[in-house]
Amino acid sequence: MESDSQLVARAQSGDQQAFAELVRRYSALVFRLTVSILGREFIPEAEDVAQEVFLKVHYAIESFRGEAEFSSWIYRITFNQAVNVKARVRFRSPHADETVLYQAVSPGPGPYRQAETAQRDQALAECIQTLPEIYQSALRLYYWLGAGVGELAELLGVPENTAKSYLHRARQLLHGMLKERGYSCD
Amino acid sequence: MEPREAEIDSLLRRSMAGPVPSLPPDFDQRLMREVRSGWRPLDRYRRILLTGYGLTSVVTSAVVMRGQGLDWGAISVMILGPLALVAAARWARRATYTTIGHGAQ
Repeated sequence: MESDSQLVARAQSGDQQAFAELVRRYSALVFRLTVSILGREFIPEAEDVAQEVFLKVHYAIESFRGEAEFSSWIYRITFNQAVNVKARVRFRSPHADETVLYQAVSPGPGPYRQAETAQRDQALAECIQTLPEIYQSALRLYYWLGAGVGELAELLGVPENTAKSYLHRARQLLHGMLKERGYSCD
Repeated sequence: MEPREAEIDSLLRRSMAGPVPSLPPDFDQRLMREVRSGWRPLDRYRRILLTGYGLTSVVTSAVVMRGQGLDWGAISVMILGPLALVAAARWARRATYTTIGHGAQ
């Protein structure tokens, strides 16, 4: 199997098959990173962002000098693009409310318990949205998209220990915020 | 993991569980079609130029239509109608892929 740098070199000389192979290799990862930043309410936008990222990469691939890994480069472009789009769409009404989706997958045993759980989940979703972008992304990748710490570190472009510390810090912050709002975590 | 961190960990696992979205299967093909069509991102200069051109066109059209005796209501409809159509088409395209968990595992 050809390495990324070989494919990049071929793509730089105009080989579209090579670029198509890079798309095949990275499209799912770029989409996962985008979704982790935009959240589950903006999945169609995430698809648009993924497309824009690859179009930008295609446009700029000639200027890629290989000083960093191709993967780091594309994830950095993705992160910046998704954060920019998030700043634009955050005030738009979401396609589906995050809490509705939570309720759909985690019903409680009875109506009272269910309502209580839904309220707490909504509070949690609101708290998550106040965290720094990088923490939000780390939480969604790890808890929703099922990424391991290794994948998390790769997508966010940080060492594994830093990725772990993002999760640790995010959990601490969330615990404090929920407690302030009068919710317990058990 | 400390006990309080373990509690929030367990809550996050329960609360954030849900269908994992994935790209539609034809994403790569659609993308490659765009690539082959020679798409180029607008740089800052071209973006400003295009915005300026658009705004000038709108103002000029409004002034000309007003000069022809149309009232502001009709002028607004004439200008905003096409923009609304474009927005609706864009929305419809997105709605096609809006199923949450589209291609969910």
